[in-house]
Amino acid sequence: MREKKKASKSSSSTSPCLLLRDAYHNCFNRWYAEKFMKGHWDKQDCVSEWQSYRACLSQHLEDKHLIRFLEAEHNVQDGAVASQ
Amino acid sequence: MVKAYRQEHIYKHPWERVTCAAWRKFADPENKTILPHILDVDTLNHKLDPSSGKLYTTRAITVHCPGPWFLRRIVGQDICHCLESTVVDAPSRSMQLTSRNISLQKFIEVEEKTRYDPHPDNPAEWTICQQETSIRIKPLSALASMAEKVEQRCADRFLQNSVKGREVMERICKYLEAESGGLAL
Repeated sequence: MREKKKASKSSSSTSPCLLLRDAYHNCFNRWYAEKFMKGHWDKQDCVSEWQSYRACLSQHLEDKHLIRFLEAEHNVQDGAVASQ
Repeated sequence: MVKAYRQEHIYKHPWERVTCAAWRKFADPENKTILPHILDVDTLNHKLDPSSGKLYTTRAITVHCPGPWFLRRIVGQDICHCLESTVVDAPSRSMQLTSRNISLQKFIEVEEKTRYDPHPDNPAEWTICQQETSIRIKPLSALASMAEKVEQRCADRFLQNSVKGREVMERICKYLEAESGGLAL
């Protein structure tokens, strides 16, 4: 119900990514609290969650300024993933 | 003309917990009723530097910013995208965020810098949050003649919202504290 109300109010372009976004953010929060904050900063978890979410964003993000940041990210992420 | 102000807040929670809360503040769906102006938060970009323990993140924050009717008529929209860049330096326990608007840039520039550091008097258990905000109406924009009023109005609105934001932060910290207590025992 909440999603419905929200979609009509904001007509957000990334609404289709809501579930993937929540999955990624939940995973990130867990990694941040349980690993990163405890000194395990050798690698970042949630790689598959991030890839699905990011693929959805690149399809639905409308604002061209924001897309630029998503595209800029591509190289960064490739570099980070390559080491795994 | 620039309207600028500083705010400071002390959280009686350790830095690790407060920064966890900072990530959740806008993104947790249960905060939507208290922070209805935050419509969406999307992570666009993240990078971990394993050698330095620094985490770089870029998020898009979509804000609902309705103004009075005459502003809406000039500006033509009441949804604003902001870009938030965050650096968390885990070894030295610092978190720094910078947010600025991406939309409506020909009218207004808003920049908010926030940092979370361990409180010098009690670094293990308290966290100090310092925030600097600047609001600037572009001098040649259609809003220039009422710049001072608009800047003041924005500042008032931001201050109201940051009070709510702190309440949300305090609540998440309490929740995380209870959660970690339960797990640890």
